[in-house]
Amino acid sequence: MFALLAKFRNTLSRERALGVAKGKRRYDLPLTGGSSNSFLRLLIGLMSILGMLALAASFALSAMTTRWEQGLADKITIEIPASDSAGEMIAASSVRSMTDDAAKIIGARGDVLEAEIMEESHVRELLSPWLGEDMVMDSIPIPGIISVTFEKGTKPDIKALEAEIKEVAPRARIDTHESWLSEVARFTGALQFAAILLGLIISVTTLVAVAGGVRSKLSENKEELELLHLMGASDSYIAKQLQRHTLILSLQGGIIGVIGGAVLLFIIGMVAGNMGVNLVPDFKLGADQKIMLILLPLPIAALAMFTARFTVMRVLTKMP
Amino acid sequence: MIRYEHVGLRYGIGPEVLEDINFQLDPGSFHFLSGPSGAGKTSLLSLMYLGRMPTRGLIQMFGQNIGELGRDQLAAMRQRVGVVFQDFRLLNHMSAFDNVALPLRIQGRPEKEIQNNVAELLDWVGLGDQKYALPNTMSGGQQQRVAIARAVITRPRLLLADEPTGNLDDEIGFRLMALFDQLNKMGTTVVIATHNQAIIDKFGHKRMILEKGRLHIEEPTKHGLRKRLEGVY
Ligand SMILES: Nc1ncnc2c1ncn2[C@@H]1O[C@H](COP(=O)(O)OP(=O)(O)O)[C@@H](O)[C@H]1O
Ligand SMILES: [Mg+2]
Repeated sequence: MFALLAKFRNTLSRERALGVAKGKRRYDLPLTGGSSNSFLRLLIGLMSILGMLALAASFALSAMTTRWEQGLADKITIEIPASDSAGEMIAASSVRSMTDDAAKIIGARGDVLEAEIMEESHVRELLSPWLGEDMVMDSIPIPGIISVTFEKGTKPDIKALEAEIKEVAPRARIDTHESWLSEVARFTGALQFAAILLGLIISVTTLVAVAGGVRSKLSENKEELELLHLMGASDSYIAKQLQRHTLILSLQGGIIGVIGGAVLLFIIGMVAGNMGVNLVPDFKLGADQKIMLILLPLPIAALAMFTARFTVMRVLTKMP
Repeated sequence: MIRYEHVGLRYGIGPEVLEDINFQLDPGSFHFLSGPSGAGKTSLLSLMYLGRMPTRGLIQMFGQNIGELGRDQLAAMRQRVGVVFQDFRLLNHMSAFDNVALPLRIQGRPEKEIQNNVAELLDWVGLGDQKYALPNTMSGGQQQRVAIARAVITRPRLLLADEPTGNLDDEIGFRLMALFDQLNKMGTTVVIATHNQAIIDKFGHKRMILEKGRLHIEEPTKHGLRKRLEGVY
């Protein structure tokens, strides 16, 4: 790590010395030195970190969504209410027998992987927060609940099943979790949108900052710029110099960003784990996702480079 | 080779500093551009090195109408013109060598050729031991030689110089003019803006005289012409 940082510092100081060096990497405009370079480098670094966080978050979100969707896709819950259509309580024994009858219908099907009548005590436990401990007395009838898992990929006709069950338990309801899933999808969709928006903000910020930086570099070196122009340098010759300069700065910033982002993601993962905030249990970034995160500064640097080119070309149109 | 017809130039909304300029320069010719300070010599030169576009009139260079050229074609045309600016305009962040090499690099010449030619030319103008000096550590005379070397390194077809003898004593001024003469004999068309009468007299060349934004051309002064014919220098 230290060796890497030292190497990085070397690159920076070499860049600084370039102005008078007679090596290969030579700029015709005095672009090196000056605080605006460090500023741009830092800004690209921060943008890379932000981008990495947004990207990692959207990876986690889509993992969460797919896991919930997969987990609930083949599941339904059958509920036999403990009251009749008039709101009168039904005897606990008849709720139990209706539940058993419904379970028999389920058991007779060929496409069911697993079906389970929820223990009465378990249902009481689930209900107690709403009804209060005292209310959930043995005498109060409680609904019968059967959770059913179908074989993967079978698409059972829920409507037909519901009609069939209603013959033995007229008030039975089947919950396919669809509405809840669509809520989840809406929620994660909103978060994904926020991540995309953040990406957009990062791009725009990079664009504005690079364009401003290039403009100020050009006006700082107006005389030199004009001289190159008078010597017959084409617009793209001049643009290339600033492109290369911006690309190098951006890549340096990108390296800072990747290191910073990796450290930050690691810390976030640890803290979230410790606090038990595990919306997505044992979620780990895949190798391809890690590569995407590490390579994220590349598109940012490319954006910076093209912005530099575009800006130079625009400034040059003011010269005949 | 260069042809001006009814050319006018104004800065912004100011008055025309050049009015109805008409002239023609033949290939291999040598002209002094003279006239009082503020007459528009620098302005005319800036039109000639394509630093500005005229506000009216027709300019033909190397057989092409510059008004019809695209940006890249204009850039290519600028590469055929060498300019010694009045204030030299050297780049202070690079060595004398790199300053002189710059036009070649812009033209994308191979680095090997650049190394040889620049070193040779710097030797020729007597700066062989100052190759890697930064311009702002050099004397005015040395800077001027760097500026001249940079202007001629590409063997331009047209060489322009703006008051190159301005702050030199006559002795050095004459030597400088002899250098320009030599380049001219090798085929370069030369225009030198100067109001140094001694130099104008000594070197019998045609004069382009600017007065209040108007131009007329005068044949060489008798004195200078005689000297030239006698081959005094
Ligand atoms: N960039 C400029 N903007 C406005 N006016 C200018 C500019 N350059 C020169 N002028 C004006 O144009 C006129 C001619 O100037 P110049 O070409 O420098 O003359 P010379 O070189 O003969 O002294 C002067 O009146 C000067 O003030
Ligand atoms: Mg002048």
